Amino acid sequence: MAQIARSSGVVDVVVVGSGAGGGTAAHVLTAKGINVVLLEAGPNLVPAQEFKDHKMPSDYAHRGAEDGGALYFGKGKPFGFMSTTSGGWELEGEPYTVGEGSQFSWFRSRIVGGRTNHYGRMSFRFSDYDFKPYSKDGLGFDWPISYEDIAPYYDRAEEFIGVAGSVEGIRSAPDGKFHTPPPAKVHELLIRKSCDKLGIPCIPNRRAVITKNLNGRAACHYCGQCGRGCQTASAYSSSQVQVFPALKTGKLTLITDAMVREVTTDGSGKATGVIYIDRNTRTEKAIKARVVILAASACESARILLNSKTHEFPNGVANSSGLVGRYLMDTVGFGLSGYVPALEGMPHYDTDGYGGAHLYMPWWMWDKHDKLDFPRGYHIEIGGGYGQPGVGSYHGAARRYGYGAGMKQKIREGYGASVGFAGRGEMIPNLHSYCEIDPNVVDQWGIPVLRFHFKWTDYEWKQARHMEKTFAEIIEGMGGRVTGLSAAQRESQGISVPGTIIHEVGTACMGKDAKTSVLNGYTQSHDVKNLYVMDGGSFASNPDKNPTLTINALAWRGCDYLAEEMRKGNV
Amino acid sequence: MSNESLVQLTNVEVERRSIIRALALGLTSMGVLDLEAAQHVHAANAGEKAAAGGPYKVKTFQAEEYKTLRRLCELIVPKDDVSGSALDAGAPEFIDLLCSQNQRLADIYHGGLAWFDAQMRKRVGNRFVEATATEQTAMLDTLVKAEAEETARRSEELVYQRTAIYKDFSNYTVKRQSDLGAGVKFFDWVRKMTVDAFYTSPLGVKDLGYKGNGAYSKYTVPAEALEYAMKRSPFKAW
Repeated sequence: MAQIARSSGVVDVVVVGSGAGGGTAAHVLTAKGINVVLLEAGPNLVPAQEFKDHKMPSDYAHRGAEDGGALYFGKGKPFGFMSTTSGGWELEGEPYTVGEGSQFSWFRSRIVGGRTNHYGRMSFRFSDYDFKPYSKDGLGFDWPISYEDIAPYYDRAEEFIGVAGSVEGIRSAPDGKFHTPPPAKVHELLIRKSCDKLGIPCIPNRRAVITKNLNGRAACHYCGQCGRGCQTASAYSSSQVQVFPALKTGKLTLITDAMVREVTTDGSGKATGVIYIDRNTRTEKAIKARVVILAASACESARILLNSKTHEFPNGVANSSGLVGRYLMDTVGFGLSGYVPALEGMPHYDTDGYGGAHLYMPWWMWDKHDKLDFPRGYHIEIGGGYGQPGVGSYHGAARRYGYGAGMKQKIREGYGASVGFAGRGEMIPNLHSYCEIDPNVVDQWGIPVLRFHFKWTDYEWKQARHMEKTFAEIIEGMGGRVTGLSAAQRESQGISVPGTIIHEVGTACMGKDAKTSVLNGYTQSHDVKNLYVMDGGSFASNPDKNPTLTINALAWRGCDYLAEEMRKGNV
Repeated sequence: MSNESLVQLTNVEVERRSIIRALALGLTSMGVLDLEAAQHVHAANAGEKAAAGGPYKVKTFQAEEYKTLRRLCELIVPKDDVSGSALDAGAPEFIDLLCSQNQRLADIYHGGLAWFDAQMRKRVGNRFVEATATEQTAMLDTLVKAEAEETARRSEELVYQRTAIYKDFSNYTVKRQSDLGAGVKFFDWVRKMTVDAFYTSPLGVKDLGYKGNGAYSKYTVPAEALEYAMKRSPFKAW
């Protein structure tokens, strides 16, 4: 590999963002001997200090309610005190705005590893039909690549990050390279029985958690606390599995607290690097690079592109199509819980397992759309079991049962007797859902911020109603009763607030034609050949599979292509 | 006075680190890892508590306020034949500590506790702690009833607002909110924090029978649990 880099002050590749896409790029490129500078907007991650795995609430005087009971005032850490999230829905000094009539919540993690430190680790391959949705139903856009193109990279990503699962032969859930999954829990087996009657497949979950040792990482020890961060790195995070090991190659330079503002260009259609603000000194710095990879998260990368305006690129770099920021998608979410008397009084056992559910339901009606009033589909995630008691766990029950010995007995009886279902469905990209630069607001670094616009359409609402009906049938089928929201509440609150499933993708969609897409199938800009976007921005659709594994695979594929281009001297 | 959970034990933290290190060194060769050891961090032991703790020093409340708070905590989660009360679980200390860190929270409690005394004086001529147990529970029952009515009213209102067939509001009369509103709100505060303190304490964890936070080389589901639930389910058997 040519090392033009250091002497002239030009590095091979600068990667912006250290999450799933940036972590994969750092790992794959350094393994090929390419020098990479990785910029992260937040601080470094120190698992031994940050992670709270194996703690109990009683280890803290505030029991997890945080100092002064911040949790009770809605000011607690997102996803709870024990969670390893660094970031949140609102970041001090870094606002975003939302257009009139829209709702959108944007979760940003500023730390090495980004949101992979705490995410749910659901790792589902897209199906063959997911890459050609327009061809199937005339809505949205086809991807420029097919399942066959990405399949080898799903293999590599799964083998490297480690995914537990089982081979099932279901078209909507293509099989992969799996570690052995843990056995199903009792409530999940009841759910499976109920699903059997309804013709819904219920199979071992697929999560990026290893169940045998891999590359120096210990197999899962089943404490069920992946969301707190895993000190044994049994659960995948880009920080522990990709960035830290890549640092050991000597090919990776990590620069933290670096808020990237724009991509620089040379006036002849090529990117020359990026400009960032060093958060600690509030000074502007530039990095020159042969190749720029944005992996800052779909919306943050769109923000950088849109803020990179020159005479040459008056609408922002890589935006000749005008589509940067457009077709923003999140996942359709709806949840319902139920109380299952069969579980009452069951001998208690450890249901923590490998974190999250051990079973899930992939979409089952991909060839039965004539029977549905909405396009596309959803998968179902399961909750339940004897969870670790925490602050807030029994507020609802306490309200329901008043106080005293009676309340205490009811809480005891109901412990572990509830199940929950969460639908995760595909939305159709629409013209009303996008982000743009708010011309009137900058953040504390002087960088213009994003303004969001978002609309669910009938497609998504009808899908959510189908989820509701299905979940109620599953609950009733196992002798349970639906709890939680009243019918009236479900009617008004029956779909997730846009952005809150944290699957935002599609702001720099890939496609065959430079006029109707931003990137090609290798996540390379049509306009600027040495610029790539390797986060969820490249998604041409947002299938009912959580996006991270596909971000890993697309980044891996893009890096293979990029390395070859570099070898040939094309960049 | 028991407040074991309010004491930070540094040696426990050291132990947690060593367990995690052991896990990282590879537990596959060891079979089932020492579960007792892995569960370590939380079960704070009584000897250490006595050594490090001593009687709790109240930070926020006047002596009389604190008596009222303690009585409320005890009424909310009383001792029964399975486990001790919220007092045994350190609930008053938990509330006092958090109030000492947050004036807004402290104000809620000062005001609420005073409301309880004033209300009880109106009812029976005595402060809350001086009233009989029957008078105390009668007052809590009144609050719980008012709370339930308020919840029902709100839900009904929501149905009216959301349901298309009720476009015409002329027939809908809003029921007047109970004048116990402030008391209902405060009772909810003290109840939710008492319940939190109880169920996050080692005592509450044991009451519920939480068995997790372990470390194993293999995850298993006991057959007896499976049998139990299946027999009671509509499926009866596998």
